[in-house]
Formats: sequence, structure tokens, C-alpha cells
Amino acid sequence: MNALLLALWLLPLAGALIMWALGPQLKRGAGPLGAAIVFASLACAAFLFPNASNSTGVSETLITWIPGYTFGLRLDALSLLWTLIITGVGGLIHVYSIGYMWSDRAMARFFAYLNFFVFAMLTLVLSDNVVGLLVGWGLVGLASYFLIGFWFYKPTAVAAARKAFVINVVGDVGIMFAIFALFAFTGSISYVDIFAKAGTLPVGVLIAICMGLFIGAAAKSAQVPLHTWLPDAMEGPTPVSALIHAATMVTAGVYLIARFAPLYNLSPTAQEIVALIGGITMLTGAVLGVAQWDIKRILAYSTMSQIGYMIMGVGVGAYQAGVLHFFTHAFFKAQLFLGAGIIIHALNDEQDVRKMGGLYRRMPFAFWAMLLGTLAIIGFPFFSGSYSKDAVIYGTLEHGHGLLYLAGVLTAGITAFYMFRMIFVVFFGPDRSEVPDDALAIPPAPHAAHAEDHDASHAPAWLMNVPVAILMVPTVAAGWLSIGGNASPWYQYFGTMFGTSENVAAPPLPIPELASQFIVYAIVTVGVIIAYLRYGTPEALRDSVARLRAEGLRMPVALRRAFWFDDVIALAIVRPAQALGSFIGRVIDPHVIDAGVRDVAWFAGALGFFARALQNGLVRTYALTLAIGAACFIAYFAVMGAPR
Amino acid sequence: MTVELTNYVMLSAVMFFIGVVGVIVRRNPLIVLMAIELMFNAANLALVAFSRAWVNNAGHIFVFLVVTVAAAEAAIGLAIVVAVFRRAKNVDLDEVAGMHG
Repeated sequence: MNALLLALWLLPLAGALIMWALGPQLKRGAGPLGAAIVFASLACAAFLFPNASNSTGVSETLITWIPGYTFGLRLDALSLLWTLIITGVGGLIHVYSIGYMWSDRAMARFFAYLNFFVFAMLTLVLSDNVVGLLVGWGLVGLASYFLIGFWFYKPTAVAAARKAFVINVVGDVGIMFAIFALFAFTGSISYVDIFAKAGTLPVGVLIAICMGLFIGAAAKSAQVPLHTWLPDAMEGPTPVSALIHAATMVTAGVYLIARFAPLYNLSPTAQEIVALIGGITMLTGAVLGVAQWDIKRILAYSTMSQIGYMIMGVGVGAYQAGVLHFFTHAFFKAQLFLGAGIIIHALNDEQDVRKMGGLYRRMPFAFWAMLLGTLAIIGFPFFSGSYSKDAVIYGTLEHGHGLLYLAGVLTAGITAFYMFRMIFVVFFGPDRSEVPDDALAIPPAPHAAHAEDHDASHAPAWLMNVPVAILMVPTVAAGWLSIGGNASPWYQYFGTMFGTSENVAAPPLPIPELASQFIVYAIVTVGVIIAYLRYGTPEALRDSVARLRAEGLRMPVALRRAFWFDDVIALAIVRPAQALGSFIGRVIDPHVIDAGVRDVAWFAGALGFFARALQNGLVRTYALTLAIGAACFIAYFAVMGAPR
Repeated sequence: MTVELTNYVMLSAVMFFIGVVGVIVRRNPLIVLMAIELMFNAANLALVAFSRAWVNNAGHIFVFLVVTVAAAEAAIGLAIVVAVFRRAKNVDLDEVAGMHG
């Protein structure tokens, strides 16, 4: 029994249970306890690092549910990477949350949910079989539901939580059918057996399985058209957005596809579809990121766009590059969200960038944090994001997807534009907090302040600043692990874990990698310059109120409605489902189901009516009944003869 | 002329039938109790008749038991009749129909 592996997995569950049970007693003690537990998990993972950082790793069989079908844990290079991010970044966000949630009375509940999320996510990545994976997958969705709807007295938060949960369940169903097919055709649920038999699967079945898995990945990782829940999920507390809806949970789809690389490698068709959807998501997210005024929504769409990069990377078969982008993104996106959290916290829950402005002087620390994160996400040279993003973009070319390459380069430029738009609007120019809403053409987006759960005390500032400061290091440097191409620590770490794709016959590369990097840098520079010209020049900053108002009024309706994804889904699925529901409620339920129940009751009543007549209370009638009964017996035996 | 087993059984059947009819048609509980006694004794007669025919004393013993139980039953039955009379000021069985459904 590998105690470390078991402790790594179960400590967060124990933490969640303790905090659920003892929340009122723990009060603010829940925060440090939760953080300590996650760091303890991180320590376990760190101790296991030497044994686990290869393609076989450490495994442990826990229970046998049916003879031959066991549930166990498996910590190999891929799940170890996710484990380190979940517990490492997760631990920092726990510390940050102590400060962010300081004045919220439901602090123990918050940390119970966070620890439960960590446990669920570890279940997902540590499972050594597809069923355990699905269990973790579902638990993660549940934890996400809890945390998005954490402020359950806000109707918008409840609606967002429900939406996220329902869309995630769509993905769960996809994975479930993939598991059914895997079991039917390989007779096994464990990764090792499935991958050993992958070559024997018929092509059509393989594509169906890959698509089922990808539906799950798309729902969890906010890929078009199942992405609409992610921007709404920003209703949750900001640390939640950082941990779940940026760094870890939404990248589970990337894990899924990287984990099932042996299947995807055999099915170029499935890879094409995955890469294409990833590319579309990448571009859509970036374009919509341009049109947002809510700082968390900007970051949400950028998350969606960056996950598009990752999915595209693992989709074309550039697994190391896609996973590297997950790795660096976890740091810089957590950094960005936590920086945004500092701002939102300081401005009493104001999230609209048009009401900010000039924050550079007021909050220099937040500015530097956001600036480093922004430079990393746009792929500024030598920042972590540049290495991973370049690797993904060039990976598409290496595997022969010219169109996706162009989309990737273009998206990098758009990313640079909207991120620097945010930087300029938030940190420079005049303070617009006192400007009335209609002068900025802000559509009414009321923030239902959660005042009733607040008390007046304030957390020490270092609680929120230290995790951000620590995250600055990997935000800048995480990508350096991949310097040196195939000889770098990053590529050595994974070795041949993912295997190679079937379509290895890649076309000759039109340009070398260095040239590709310079093309990306050039496009990024163009994006930054356009952002500067629109939002950053002294004149633009001076009349920023008028310009933002004009931008709001002139925003194309397609962007304001986020390309109508919500409307189309509402029209095609939600409305018909509601109509069906109300039809069943108004017709089937009263006239079929209730009618059946009514008829049964009526029959019993009628039966009772007749039976009642027998019970007339007259002793002589009862005697007559007895006599008739006896006579019947006598007649029976007289006719049939004596019983033998 | 000897008395056959059949004669005893016939007599027993006739007595039992009279008892049944008495229970069903009479409304005075005292008469009903008497009719019940008649049925007991019809059964007793059958028991001793079969016992004698098959030279087996079990029937005789059983009759003693039945007579004892019948005595007890009569005592309880009369007690119930008294109790009902005190309550309803009436002993007509058709009037005492408080158990109707």
C-alpha cells in the first residue's frame, strides 16, 4: 500500500468532510486548515516525483468491485503534472482565498467546497481506469456547481451554476457512451488494457469513442458550442474563477485527450475534428474577448481562447506542446485572475473596466501582477506563454495544418490587442469610478452586492499579495523548461509517453521554427500597437469616457450577443425542452399519469362500496354467510369426493 | 331392528340443520344460544356414533371436552347478552347492529 499516494488523494476529502462537519466551530480557522491540507497533498506529490515522473509511474490497486475489474490510482508523468498544478496553484489560491473571503461568514463552507474540488480533480487525474475518470469528472462538475453558486442569494449566480452543471452533464453523457463502447469492444475499463487493445478496434468504433470523449472534453473545457457556461461561471468568487475556471478544471479536456493519445493517434479523423473545434474556439474566444467590459469576462473569454490553443495542440498530435500550454497557462491565468481579484476586492466588487481607470497609481502591485500575466499570455518573448504558444502554433504546422497555423497566429494578435486594451483601460487614464453609468453607456448589469454576509473587518493585505507574488516566478519562467527543443527537460520528462500519430508523414515545413516565432512576435506587436493607438495614447486616455461610450454604442450586435450562441441554444434546445415540459405538465401529467392514479383509487373505492354491503352488522347475516360457505364446502366434497 | 350408524348420522345432520336455521331465523339471542347448543350436541352425537362404530374411545373423550367448552361458551354468551341488554336496553339481534360497515 503506497501510503503517500493514498494520502495525496484522500487528504483533501478529509479536509472537506472536517470543514463540512465543523464549519461553525472552525470559522476563519477553516482557511489555514484548507490551505495546509492542499499543501500537504502537494508535499506528497513532490515526494512521489522521482518515482512517478515517467510513463509507467506509480500505481496502486484499491478495491476490486467485480473480480477482474479493479479501481486503482495511477500517478504517471501526465497525472503527476496535473497533480502538481492542482495542489500547487490550488494551494496558493487557497491562501489567497483566506484574504479574499475574509469578511464572508460562510468561509468554512467555501473552503470545504474548495477542498472537495481538489479531491474531485485528483480523482479525475489519478484514476487508473475510465470509470474512475468519469466519477472524478462528475464530482468536479458538482464542485464547480457548488462554487459558482456559492453566493446562492444572487439569482444570476444560481442560474450560472445550473447552466454550467447542465452543460457539463452533456459532456458526462458523451464520456459515458465512450466508456460503454470501450467496454463492449475491449472488455476492460483500465487504461493499460484498453490501450493495449486499441489497435484491434474497428475504425468507425474508434472514431465514435474519440468523439464521445471529445464531447466530454468540449463541455468541460468550454469548446464551441458548449462554451457558453464559462463566461457566466464568473458569477462565482474570483478565487474560484482562478482555480477552477482558468487553471485546473477547464483544462481537464486537455488531460482527457492527452491521456487517450493512444486512441487519438490511431484515428486521424477524430484528431482533425478535435483540432478544428479547438481552432474555432480559440478564434471565437479571442474575438469575443475584445467585446467585453467586465474584467472577469475578458479573462473568461481569454481562458476559452487559450484552452482552444491547448485542444488544438493535443488535437493535431503536438501533445507536449498542448500540455506545455496548459502548464504555463495555469500559472499566468491564475496570476491574472488573482490580480483582477485584488482590484475587484479593493473597488468593492466593481467589475466593469469602464468604471475603473487610473488604477496604476492606486494599486501598483496589482498593476505589475496583471502586466506580467498579460505579457505571458500574449506570448511576449522570454515569458512563459511565448514558449508554449509558439510550440502549439508551430506544432500545427509540423502536423500539416496550414489553416490552423494561420488562425493561431491571428489569434495571438487578437489576444495581444484585448489584453492590452484591458491594461490601458483599467490602469491608465482618469479614474472613472464616479462617472455616471449613462455617460459610459453601460447596459444595466447590477452587481447584487453580498452585503448581508459581510462583516466590516479586513484581512491583512499580504494574504492576497503573497500568492500573487509567488505566481510571478512561474508566470515568467515556467516556459524556460522547454528551451532547447527535444533535448529540453520538458520533452525529456514526457519521453515517448504519447506515442506518435498515424499521420506521421508530415509535409515539408515551409518555414523553420525560429521564423515562425518571429512571425508571431510581429503579429503580437501589431496587436499591442493597435491597442495602444485605440486606448493608450495620451489623447485616448484623456477623453476615455467619450471613447468608451462610443465603443459601447457602436459595438456590433453580433459581438454584444456573443455570436448568438446562447440565443441559438435557447431556441434550438431550451425552448423546445421547456415546451415539451409544459406540454407534459399540462396534458400528460393530469390526463395520463394522474388519470391512472385516479382510476386505481376509484376502483378500490368501488370495490369497497360492494364489500361494505357485506358488513351490515347483523349477526344473523354473518351466520347465514357461514352456513352458505359450509354448504359450499359440503357440496364441493360431495361432488369431487373426499380429499386424499 | 338395529340402529345403524346411518340413522345416528342422519339424526345428527337433522339436529345440526335445525340449529343452523335457528341461528339464522331467530332474533332473540337466548334462542340463538340454544340453537348453538343444539349444533354442539348434533356434533357430539356424530362423534359418539362414529366412536362406537369403529370401537375407538377417542370420540367419547372428545365429547366430554366439547360439553365442557359448550358450558363455558354458554356462560360467556349469556354474559354478553346481559352486557348488550344493559347497554342497548334491547336484545333484538337485528337492532344491535353497531358493527355495520
